[in-house]
Amino acid sequence: MVNTLLIVLDFRLEKVPSSEKTALRIEKTVNFRLNGEQVTVKCPPAYTLLEVLREELHVTGPKEDCAKGECGACTVIKDGAPVCSCLVLVSQAEGSEIMTSEGLVKDGRLNPVQEAFIEQGAVQCGHCIPGMIVSASALLMRNQHPTVDEIRTALSGNLCRCTGYSKIITAVQEAAKNWRQ
Amino acid sequence: MMRSEIDVLTPRNLDEALGILNENQTGLRIVAGGSDIIVQLRDGVIKPQRLLNILSVKELRFVRKQDDRIHIGALATYNDITSSPLTRDHAWPLVEASKQIGAIQLQNTATLGGNLGNASPAGDSLPPLYALDAVVVTRSKAGARDIPIEEFYLSYRKTALKPNELIAEVHFKALGANDRGAYKKLGLRLTNAISIVDVATVLRGRNGEGAFDEARVALGAVAPTIRRARVCERALTRRPVTRDVLGDVAALAMEDAVPIDDIRGSARYRKDVVASLLYEALEEALYG
Repeated sequence: MVNTLLIVLDFRLEKVPSSEKTALRIEKTVNFRLNGEQVTVKCPPAYTLLEVLREELHVTGPKEDCAKGECGACTVIKDGAPVCSCLVLVSQAEGSEIMTSEGLVKDGRLNPVQEAFIEQGAVQCGHCIPGMIVSASALLMRNQHPTVDEIRTALSGNLCRCTGYSKIITAVQEAAKNWRQ
Repeated sequence: MMRSEIDVLTPRNLDEALGILNENQTGLRIVAGGSDIIVQLRDGVIKPQRLLNILSVKELRFVRKQDDRIHIGALATYNDITSSPLTRDHAWPLVEASKQIGAIQLQNTATLGGNLGNASPAGDSLPPLYALDAVVVTRSKAGARDIPIEEFYLSYRKTALKPNELIAEVHFKALGANDRGAYKKLGLRLTNAISIVDVATVLRGRNGEGAFDEARVALGAVAPTIRRARVCERALTRRPVTRDVLGDVAALAMEDAVPIDDIRGSARYRKDVVASLLYEALEEALYG
């Protein structure tokens, strides 16, 4: 048990970019809009957008799992389109509009997708959920009458190892109804 | 070299990008959409000192038709290719491949030029581009080079791209009403799957007797580079192709597949899959 914990801790430290403290560290200033607000951040330009969101800006909705664009846990909306923030260099976010699950909340109110996930119980461990909600919201932003197939396609890049997906699909269908109102 | 030590250069336009490439290429890697490069960086497979972020070079992002040819800029994403009426009408095997690459998130960022430059034998845009007889256009300060796609790939992950060049676009003859084509892929699941085998075929100019003037069959993930199935191509042009011979014609392509065993499938399995997938592709192209 203790051994496992140590390995997990060790693994985390390896991945946390702020532990890379060297004299040669390069920093550049990057400007973009994050959840409706202009941000300016000084960071190593070859870090991923995900690393900067989580470690520098402390926006922790997007999660890191596979770090190769296969699981979708890090999904954010970039200039209107869902993308894996683990596969975008922070330098490539310059001048763009980024939205995370945090930004979907307006005036303290959850958006229809967030509401529906709670109502339908479309959550178990919860780790994949911010990415799921961002992908589903990106779908409903451009299509308020999605078919089940369209919902499945829109979420095919988001993996969930708990729910078996059916409640997630139902939640998005319910959210679509409320989105239209 | 830690990632915190890597500089990223973001040129404002193509000319500036070519200037940087011309000056000094030491430790420099080009990054377009980033989906391959960022993973390689994190895995330590590549250790550049500087990255040339060409995503900012907007003039390389386009899909257009000039005379009878389709031109696709290196920075066109798979989503751009899937959603353009030009590619849907005149390059549908490439659209089919683009729809099956990664998932939505990847299709929004990954670029055609990136897939060409990464030069993986399992790069899904490559078989359709071979079947379409595409030309790769490279640019440097010295000018542009038109390279037929088969000459662009020299060997496993090796391309004819010079250190001072970047991939600017691809172009190929638009498919028309008398042309046929299809793309088929087998992965371990529908999305986010690297191909076990993929095939593309393009049959052009069906004449009065029902035979085609030109046939191209390209096989992916079965050799160090994409392979043309030439015996099979000859069988497709010699006489009118009928439904009852499709299976035999498709099986001819197995000769050109020289796959390896890896985690996605055994060599033997891949060879068999070539025949089945190509049968499906020809069936769809001719009767679908």
